[in-house]
Amino acid sequence: MMNAYIIEGRRSAVGKAKRGGFRNFRSDDLAVIIIKDLVAKTGIDPQMVDDIIVGCANPEGEQGLQIGRNISVRALGKEVPGFTINRYCASGLEAISIAVAKINAGMGECYFAGGTESMSLVPMTGYKMAPSYQASMENLNYHVSMGATAEAVGKKWNITREESDVFALRSHQLAAAAIQAGKFNDEIVPVEVTEVFVKDDKRVESTHTVAMDEGVRADTSLEALAKLPAVFKNGGIVTAGNSSQTSDGSAFVLVMSERLMNSLGLSPKARLAACSVAGVDPLYMGIGPCAAIPKALAQSGLKLSDVGLIELNEAFAAQSLAVIKEAGLDPEIVNVNGGAIALGHPLGCTGAKLSIQLLHEMERRGTKYGMVTACVGGGQGIAGIFEKL
Amino acid sequence: MSFRIKRVAVLGSGVMGSGIACHLANVGMDVLMMDLPTDGAKRNLIADNALSASIKSKPAPLYKKDFASRITTGNFEDHLPGIADVDWIIEVIVERADIKKSLYEKVEQYRKPGTLITSNTSGIPLATLAEARSEDFKKCFCGTHFFNPARYMSLLEIIPQPETSEDVIAFFMKFGDEVLGKKTVLCKDTPAFIANRIGFFTGNKVTELTDALELTIVEVDKLTGDAIGWPSTGSFRLLDLVGLDTSVKVTEGVVKSVPEDEYVRKIKDRPMPAHMKFLLDNKFLGNKSGQGYYKKTDQKDENGKSIIYGLNLKTLEYGPTEKPNIPSLGLAKKIEIMSKRLKALIEADDKGGAFLKAFFGGLFAYASNRIPEISDNIYSIDDAMKAGYAWSYGPFEYWDMLGFEYGLSLATSQGESLPEWIHKKKESGNLDFYQSEGGILKYYDLGSQAYLPIPGAIGLIHLSNFSEQTPVIKNTECTVHDIGDGVMCLEFTSKANAIGEGIGQGLAEAIDLAENGNWKGILIGNNAKNFSVGANLMAVGMLAMQNDWKALEAMVHGFQQINMRMRYSKVPVVIGTQGYVFGGGCEMSMHADAVVAGAESYIGLVEVGVGLLPGGGGTKEFALRASDSYFEGDTQIPTIIDKLKTIATAAVGTSAHEAFDYGYLLPERDTVCVGTHRVLAEGKDKVLSLSEGYVPPSPKKVTVLGRTGLGALYTAINEFYLGKFMSQHDVDIARKIAYVLCGGDLTAQQEVSEQYLLDIEREAFLELLGTQKTQERIQFMLMNNKPLRN
Repeated sequence: MMNAYIIEGRRSAVGKAKRGGFRNFRSDDLAVIIIKDLVAKTGIDPQMVDDIIVGCANPEGEQGLQIGRNISVRALGKEVPGFTINRYCASGLEAISIAVAKINAGMGECYFAGGTESMSLVPMTGYKMAPSYQASMENLNYHVSMGATAEAVGKKWNITREESDVFALRSHQLAAAAIQAGKFNDEIVPVEVTEVFVKDDKRVESTHTVAMDEGVRADTSLEALAKLPAVFKNGGIVTAGNSSQTSDGSAFVLVMSERLMNSLGLSPKARLAACSVAGVDPLYMGIGPCAAIPKALAQSGLKLSDVGLIELNEAFAAQSLAVIKEAGLDPEIVNVNGGAIALGHPLGCTGAKLSIQLLHEMERRGTKYGMVTACVGGGQGIAGIFEKL
Repeated sequence: MSFRIKRVAVLGSGVMGSGIACHLANVGMDVLMMDLPTDGAKRNLIADNALSASIKSKPAPLYKKDFASRITTGNFEDHLPGIADVDWIIEVIVERADIKKSLYEKVEQYRKPGTLITSNTSGIPLATLAEARSEDFKKCFCGTHFFNPARYMSLLEIIPQPETSEDVIAFFMKFGDEVLGKKTVLCKDTPAFIANRIGFFTGNKVTELTDALELTIVEVDKLTGDAIGWPSTGSFRLLDLVGLDTSVKVTEGVVKSVPEDEYVRKIKDRPMPAHMKFLLDNKFLGNKSGQGYYKKTDQKDENGKSIIYGLNLKTLEYGPTEKPNIPSLGLAKKIEIMSKRLKALIEADDKGGAFLKAFFGGLFAYASNRIPEISDNIYSIDDAMKAGYAWSYGPFEYWDMLGFEYGLSLATSQGESLPEWIHKKKESGNLDFYQSEGGILKYYDLGSQAYLPIPGAIGLIHLSNFSEQTPVIKNTECTVHDIGDGVMCLEFTSKANAIGEGIGQGLAEAIDLAENGNWKGILIGNNAKNFSVGANLMAVGMLAMQNDWKALEAMVHGFQQINMRMRYSKVPVVIGTQGYVFGGGCEMSMHADAVVAGAESYIGLVEVGVGLLPGGGGTKEFALRASDSYFEGDTQIPTIIDKLKTIATAAVGTSAHEAFDYGYLLPERDTVCVGTHRVLAEGKDKVLSLSEGYVPPSPKKVTVLGRTGLGALYTAINEFYLGKFMSQHDVDIARKIAYVLCGGDLTAQQEVSEQYLLDIEREAFLELLGTQKTQERIQFMLMNNKPLRN
């Protein structure tokens, strides 16, 4: 088996969907910038790349026409292929695991893997939401809105509105502190955005730079969060304040075989020790990590206590709290720099983005094993365990 | 008794039957078309095949292909009981009285009492066909004679037989006009009815004079074409089109059935002209046999056009056609006004003059001698010839043009004798055949020897009837008439109704007058063959070649502004259309408050053909209409691609109905008027109805897609290029159209003003005009009257 290593990872800042700096910026254009940046940073010859694996949760419209290929041809040239994968919120991590698996299997030696998503441009349910009639006759809960699953999980695991809001507040505070400390600076590629609009019947150009995650509200408070109404259920606990934010972003890592890495004289950042996915009842989608984590631990031969740092995607506070409770995670090592509630959740990009964030923090802390885990729409969970090298 | 018609049975599916079935479908009827059964499983094969052949034929018999779904087929054995459920049965089978009568016998078994039943016979007396039928059948039975092709030929002859009820006749006269869009002419049950009877004389007289004066077929075609307001084909080319055998059949029929007809007496013993016999013997029947009086050769001229040979009537050999040797034809070309031109032609001291003197003298005598035989009044004969033979004027209108005494002397100098009523008319001093008064046309009524309004024309508007009234506004390109009830009608009078600055000025003045005076609104329309061929290309081309960009910018800006003024003026402006509604004409119509489109309106933004994009607000308007159609969750791209395709391929609707599909007409705003002759009247009604509490529209914001749309459009344009559907210049033009449709290279979707779009549209127009390839296209169009693909 050929060993695979993560050489480098970079991401864009995460923009607020429809309101932020990337609201008009296409996710393929953004991915091209990130990958070109990684090429420059690592100094590799684009021609040696075997494939680009792009996670995208709604690969249609502006993200359609096989976005993976559209990115590869522009970022690395027509000779370099690219493809698109979709496991919703796990896509970015799944892309990395596919790259690793391909290298392990001897199918290739050099991959860019990650994800990209514009929730500003493509609606979350796609342009035509058309579930199967037959499925709807078999079980209506196969397709339930994410908010409704969060309410279901919250109810089943007895999560309160108050603890949800406390969790949300923690996310914002930790994220604000991380930004304050400049923790994300090394991983983010600043992007200059030039826009053209008509003002007073004249064509006007303007430019701005997106260099930092936009969702964090450093000044929010429990009182402010408590005022927000529940949006998915009468008398429910899930509010806009304790849910993840819709976002735009792009994140990729360079994965290489040991042989190639050595021949180029590059050094590894980490390796993916294990990555597992598992299914759960679609109605309780948010509990998915609880099914995936034991599988990943078993695969890697590690115990939960070996894992020193965890990025648990905060789809919803209610779901995150249920997972922490049910899987027995140590809250102290979960989302130490805040999570998606504050930093945003650009669906297909998120898995890769969290991996990059995790690796940087592991480096800061000298953590040996870290985990990225997320619940996945449709009732799945993913857990990937990285070993810092 | 009143009749309501929705379901019609057409018995017979030949060329006429299918054509009639299609036209009935055009106007919204459910049609059951039957023919003889065939052996085997597909019993309706004859009707099925006829229908599919008809649908494929050119010109298209249907306004829209999908109207074919309104026609079901059947056969006489299995489906005749179906006529119990129809409101009207029209028989269009073979022209044999015995066969028709035996079919009627079967029809009587199933037909419900009171159901209308008519025959499309062109030669068999209706009284003969009605023999042995029940009383109810006879009451509901008459002739409804369509002309081929039924959709396009606007004549419908209504022929009662002695027992047809008055209600039935009155109904068909009105229904044929208002619903079928035809000019209905009341005939008598006489051989060949009206149009073909006068046509019989015309055809034979032309041939007679051709031989007597030793003219060539080209000379005759020139003398009997555009020069005198007849179809540009002229007589012999028309004969090739109709088929010599068909025409001979009509002649034989008339000769046989009306021996007392003075012209029949003259020709019945005369041998058939040698050339006609030659063609018949050789079965050179015209276009359908590949050759007739003319023959298409394999040779091409320097422009790549097939060389056509003509038959030399003396040698009976085909050869290259020679230019007519008739000086007066050249002179007459320069005379715009028909009455003056006709007189000049007739008075010319050459072969042409001799021909036309004899022809018109003969025509005036023959037509007036047919009253009261084939009709009791002059207008029926004129209407029939105009609608059935596409003459611009009927016999008595030509006579009016030349003056009563002059026409009379033409006839008498030919040795023709004229009927008593003509002499009486002379004595009465009421010399005109028609007079117009306050926009209403009146005809000379033989009985009362007075002028009476034409019954079917009451309420219709023909602008020539206002010519004696002082116009509200008049300049070199347009005339604004007061058409009564507070409505102005702006009539284009420029060549081919091309739109230039004069029309813009006329319209601006009309709007000023209307807004500040006691007017209800403005109708823009005319009675010409074509509403407008577009903007004045000559003026645009000249300025471009002179590099006078300032004047061009001003001209395009002016046209945009008048279109915008029309939309936002404080009075309603309605446009009535027929024929070509091209380019600038289409752009104007898109900015009106409503369009009343004759069904035979061929609407399109055709600017690409001359290397331009619609610059008078047409491209902007497509962006606006796309924007109006967007809805929450709309993916928008297919709409904007569709809009681009329509302009970039210069798509023209082959009927007003098709124009809706292209987006030139809007269902919530515009209406179709089946009969072209009713367009102005309906347009005026529309002005009046809109004027009640009229509030001008508010300016709209237009959602444009910017780069999101441009990426898709540029990609679509490349497809056209790769597929060789577009040349490089077509691509350049299409990309400019795309740019305007998307509001430019905006980062994202945005709302913009109409003025912003007009500005970028004008800029793109001028940029294209500055390219050599566009100037070549313009030049080519001006010289050859067809587009250049470069």
